[in-house]
Amino acid sequence: MSDRSKLIVTGKPFRFDQERDAEFERLVKRYPTRESMILPALWLTQEQEGWISAEAIAYIADRIGTFASQVFECATFYTMYNLHPMGRNHICICRTLSCWLRGKQEIVDYLKNELGLKPGEIGADGKFSLEEVECLGHCGTAPVVQVNGEFHESMDVDKLKSLLATLK
Amino acid sequence: MEVKILSAKFDIKDAHMLEVAKQHGAYSQLDKLFSMEPVAVIEEVKNSGLRGRGGAGFPAGLKWSFLPKGLNKPVYLTVNSDESEPATFKDRYILVRDPHMMIEGIIICCYAIGCHDAYIYIRGEYTSQVKALQKAIDEAYAAGYLGEKVAGHDFKLDVTVHRGAGAYICGEETALLESIEGKKGQPRSKPPFPAVEGLYGCPTIINNVQTIASLPYIIENGAAAYKQYGTEKSPGTHLFGISGHVNKPGMYELPLGLPILDVIEKVAGGVLNGKKLKAIIPGGSSTPVQTPEDAKDLTLDYESMAAHKTMFGSGGIVVLDETVDIVKLVENLAQFYHHESCGQCTPCREGLGWILKIVKKILRGDGTSADIDLLVELCDNIEMKTVCVLSAACTMPVRSYLIKFRHEFEAYVKKGASAQANVKQG
Amino acid sequence: MDELIMVKINGMDVHFPKGKTILEVCKDAGIYIPTLCYDERLKPHGGCRLCLVEIKGKPVPLTSCTTPGEAGMEISTESPKLTRLRKTILELLLSNHPNDCMVCEASGDCSLREMAYLYGASLDRFQGEKWNLPIREDNPFITFEPNKCIACGRCTRICNEVVMAGTIDLVNRGFNAIPETAFAKPRSLKNCEFCGQCVSTCPTGALTDKKGRGKGRAGDIKKVKTTCTYCGTGCNFFLNVRNDRVVRVTSDFEAPVNKGNLCIKGRYGYDFIHSDERIKTPLIREGEGFREASWDEALSLVAGRFNAIIKEHGPDKVGGFSSSRCSNEENYLLAKWVRCAVGSNNVDNCARVCHAPTVAGLAQSFGAGAATNSLEQMSDIDTIFIIGSNTTEAHPIVSLYLKKAISKGAKVVVADPRKIWLAQRADVWLNMKPGSNIALINGIIHVILKNGWESKEFIKTRTEGFAELKAKVEEYDLDRVEKLTGVSRDKIIEAARLYSQAEKSMIVYGLGITEHLTGTENSMATANLALVCGQVGRPSTGIMALRGQNNVQGASDLGPLPATLPGYQSVTDPKCREKFGKAWGVTIKDKPGLKSVEMLDECAKGNFKALYILGEDPAHTDPDLHHIRKALDKIDFLVVQDIFPTETTKYAHVILPGASFAEKDGTFTNGERRVQRIRKAVGPVAGLADWEVLCKVSTLMGYPMPYTHPSQIMDEIATLVPAYGGISYKRIEKKGIQWPCPTKDHPGTTTLYTETFARPSGLALFMVLDHVGSGEVPDETYPLVLITGRVREHYNNGSQTRHAVGIIDLVPEELVEISPEDAQSLGIKNLDWVKVLSRRGEIKVRAKVTKRSQTGNVFMSFHHQSTLTNVLTSGHRCRISGTPEYKSCAVRIEQLSQE
Repeated sequence: MSDRSKLIVTGKPFRFDQERDAEFERLVKRYPTRESMILPALWLTQEQEGWISAEAIAYIADRIGTFASQVFECATFYTMYNLHPMGRNHICICRTLSCWLRGKQEIVDYLKNELGLKPGEIGADGKFSLEEVECLGHCGTAPVVQVNGEFHESMDVDKLKSLLATLK
Repeated sequence: MEVKILSAKFDIKDAHMLEVAKQHGAYSQLDKLFSMEPVAVIEEVKNSGLRGRGGAGFPAGLKWSFLPKGLNKPVYLTVNSDESEPATFKDRYILVRDPHMMIEGIIICCYAIGCHDAYIYIRGEYTSQVKALQKAIDEAYAAGYLGEKVAGHDFKLDVTVHRGAGAYICGEETALLESIEGKKGQPRSKPPFPAVEGLYGCPTIINNVQTIASLPYIIENGAAAYKQYGTEKSPGTHLFGISGHVNKPGMYELPLGLPILDVIEKVAGGVLNGKKLKAIIPGGSSTPVQTPEDAKDLTLDYESMAAHKTMFGSGGIVVLDETVDIVKLVENLAQFYHHESCGQCTPCREGLGWILKIVKKILRGDGTSADIDLLVELCDNIEMKTVCVLSAACTMPVRSYLIKFRHEFEAYVKKGASAQANVKQG
Repeated sequence: MDELIMVKINGMDVHFPKGKTILEVCKDAGIYIPTLCYDERLKPHGGCRLCLVEIKGKPVPLTSCTTPGEAGMEISTESPKLTRLRKTILELLLSNHPNDCMVCEASGDCSLREMAYLYGASLDRFQGEKWNLPIREDNPFITFEPNKCIACGRCTRICNEVVMAGTIDLVNRGFNAIPETAFAKPRSLKNCEFCGQCVSTCPTGALTDKKGRGKGRAGDIKKVKTTCTYCGTGCNFFLNVRNDRVVRVTSDFEAPVNKGNLCIKGRYGYDFIHSDERIKTPLIREGEGFREASWDEALSLVAGRFNAIIKEHGPDKVGGFSSSRCSNEENYLLAKWVRCAVGSNNVDNCARVCHAPTVAGLAQSFGAGAATNSLEQMSDIDTIFIIGSNTTEAHPIVSLYLKKAISKGAKVVVADPRKIWLAQRADVWLNMKPGSNIALINGIIHVILKNGWESKEFIKTRTEGFAELKAKVEEYDLDRVEKLTGVSRDKIIEAARLYSQAEKSMIVYGLGITEHLTGTENSMATANLALVCGQVGRPSTGIMALRGQNNVQGASDLGPLPATLPGYQSVTDPKCREKFGKAWGVTIKDKPGLKSVEMLDECAKGNFKALYILGEDPAHTDPDLHHIRKALDKIDFLVVQDIFPTETTKYAHVILPGASFAEKDGTFTNGERRVQRIRKAVGPVAGLADWEVLCKVSTLMGYPMPYTHPSQIMDEIATLVPAYGGISYKRIEKKGIQWPCPTKDHPGTTTLYTETFARPSGLALFMVLDHVGSGEVPDETYPLVLITGRVREHYNNGSQTRHAVGIIDLVPEELVEISPEDAQSLGIKNLDWVKVLSRRGEIKVRAKVTKRSQTGNVFMSFHHQSTLTNVLTSGHRCRISGTPEYKSCAVRIEQLSQE
């Protein structure tokens, strides 16, 4: 796992939009401590912006009333939080056991070749980013690919081709 | 072989929607439930023999009865829906296809243990599933099955979905609690056990989705009906996930106690493309591997698994055909566990990395026999020497591969040695 | 008594009280178990796994740090299996460690190295790539070498669990986990308290003290155990000495008060000791300046001039100021010198300007003017009532106990005009107007009595004067109290409930109680509250008056007071006079002398002729400086003994070099009455310690003081001061004792008044008190209230902390804290230059706009010679003790054009 401690400073203030603000207020009442809102607040941020900036972490800490270091700690511990902008189409390929057995490498190789990206990279045009991730819990329909959170099961190169064609 | 208890509504169109689910019996047990004493509910569940379906197989009713009595503190339920053990994908079906069965189960459990705030911890990767689940909960609130007065009874219950964000360790129950509390998922030392001091320092029950989802059936039909299925010590049914090299991979509900080879053959359509069976991972990636020889008399229940020095685990069966390179498979697994180590305990944090490094070295052809021995020794010095069982989840299977397939590791060593000799000669 | 249980450890029977972990039991029994992630100050973590032990019947080894000992356990702490295991763990750690012990700062003080040696860990079993991260120097006091980090999490846990600063946490997961500040940015150090607790707990060389680097490692240095010279908490630590220089301060984990914790001043405020600006020789005034002189010349001059003035004007025109900064022995000597060599009672100490009201007030209520309990007991409080104490800044180590109590669930009530750290975390913040303490406390008692929340049994059996109190507080209904204090009634009721209904409630107060027109009465008011609720005389209850200076308790105890001889024995009591007269061979005057503030008043009038000021700086720290300057200007002969040139030394006729706490033997008595040793670590800069100078002056004046070591002075004190009767250097060699300690076999007293109070009747006395308010209140011309106090990084006149590398860079100047609302209406932005004016003077300072200040209040410290805050403060004084009203004066702020 790589070093996730380098955050991006956008220079712009961050705050929740109206919808997220309401969701934050709905959720905060559900927990006896405000710190419990750290993970949900990071998710709300990522939903809103696609990724989490230094400003967002400061905002969350302030909003919750906790130390920025604690939010930072969580943001770097949990690997699904994107700490930099991803491609418009963020493609995750499961690399673990069952997907490995059922040919995930072909998928990776094809995408590498087709998109000119190695796992972990974001394309210069920002259209695609590629990531190999650990088990996605779709082992019975391996190999599985997740694009912007949507699952595509029992993948093969042909299916991948038609999938790529639909992505903008 | 298949039975339909938990999966009864899985194939019904739109059974995830409240209206449809209700037509098929969802929430029909609540009046009965509230007419029972909570103790009687716990007794019924105890009598059913229902065992925790998260992996450890601890009797659910017994777990509930560990809650201390008379404390002036709230009691919490957390439903563990983190299923992140590779080869496990059963709970997902419940979340998506019959979430109301689980919500009803939550109501049953909370009533039994006196809990008014339940949290469902769902793994972050389950993007669409989170949404589906939240929708079902919203429906249940709107219909009055959750909230201030559950189904019109004088019982308040809030259910909150707490989404993980990419950490296998949060399937460990105390790491899960830490994560809900807004911390990094590092397991706690036990004792104190969560039933005594769990979420926010309060008594907490943590049950797997499938365990909870089994409750409506038990309340409706009684413990005896549930015990009709399965074996004496492993009663009931289980959602088995079968993956890897089989013709019909997928999720199947089966009573416990069936012979594993039969299931692979008859339920999952046999080894993919008629290849030879090399080995079986019986209960998720962390369970020690079984050769076909080992598996001859292996049945899908807790006792038989233990007798075969492996584990029932989460019911995730992985079939490996003859083409599988065991050393590479170990690399794949070690990579996973190394990536997921939380970093709290030295042996796991440092040791799993070294297991991976050494396996890679062997794969490169730079390994020696001593390296294979070192791997075994590392496994011995890591396993069960840490706060939680993550390290053991790596070392138990790895050791089983090292022992049962040592020749494959030796082959890499030999190949490497002769290649180097050639280089020198050349 | 706790139940004792027995286990077998390595075949040996060991008995211990239930509730201890196996590791604790082994430590107590002297059985070694290796640990890397364990620190007594932290909750057990169980991460390093070195402390695994085998327990018969358990299938796997268990961590001894987290496993409670249970009766009948058979435990093995060593076995071939455990050795293999530990060796592997260590080898894994070494596989990614620089192993550069030859040049490592922590060499000789590294647990990893020690354990690798003990278990014979091999360096080459696991060989591969190692981390190669750059050394981090962001922190002015702490160097971080990440490659040496073993991710034990001690630093991050101590920062969050103990200090609650939230400066660092572990970032990343698993193998890549590393302590980091938020955002991995130096600017995130804004949370950092620079206490170095992280350094003190680091088991390797990953975190080291920057200032000490390269100046000597564990093997090269001499460690001298001593007591901190800053606030009254009484922390112990080790001065690390090499070549007659203090190169570092390290933790003493056995220290009874601080358990190894220190604050920025204690740990990093030591380099004033070797500052070039120290006064190194006696100086004699010559024209406008000073010339260097020998000790002989200077001391002959001092003795001669004092004798001549006494002869000419009589002893009552001569006096001395003693210092809470100096040792017990020196305070005793100065008190004795004034009584014997001078022949007057004109002696006082700087408690006059801080805690004299505590001494006077609590003595009237309880019988003795001291904190009633022990600091350690604070961690078990159920409700903490903090009034007039910014504990986290003024007494950082005391605050750690409060933080511990908070983390254990204690309720917190804070009464303070400022929204301090504790107020932010309080269950109830009583945001009172400055000077409304009595009204607030009367109001709280009013609520308690109205609800029947008082302790009737305690009132009946342990107190007197309740009826009068009841009648008085009847007048303080909440309508009135709301008006007087500015605090809403709900908060007052909730505070009353939390304080009175808890099992153990403690009042913690500081100078916010004492430095008022009604300082003494304020302290009595706190006593009233404690008595009404029966919250005194038991552990974790009572009143902790937090003493501001290292030895303010001792200085008051040992006699430099105008009305009392050592041990608060009154000069008006013939028996006391006789006792001391006999011991000292003189006749003690029966009329109390002048208080320090009165001596200065007399000076200003030209009525007072000669003064010996030991370690005090009234020309900087006393209020209404114009008045003080005038007074010092007029005096015939002024001797000032100090370690640095100060505002006051400017007025001296002779300046005598003082010796710092590191340069002499002696004792300090902390705020919980604990008498603790200080030890000579390096020689006095000018060759003589203060006590030696006093002896010489006295002897030259004709009253011989032939002591050759401070221990002899303490032995003399023990014969004259009953509370110190059992104290000797031998007894406090390892651990200080809390007075009263009347006899040589008395263990000292942790909790006062468990059976009776120290008043003649044995009962505590309720005092009838009325709201008076501040001496100076805001008006149209001066609409704001200036509150003065401390900031964490500096200390009093700053002469020590301003000479500490790092500290002065961190807080280089005075700032006036102003609320955003006031700032806005005055057009002031953060860090703008402003002028602060009072009726007495004006100063230029920059503004800090902060929500800590409430509208109408501003705050300043007086740590900086460049900004003499006390030009502004008023001449109002406590009506009983004479302590100045530092906490409230009326000012106006004007914006200065930005240059």
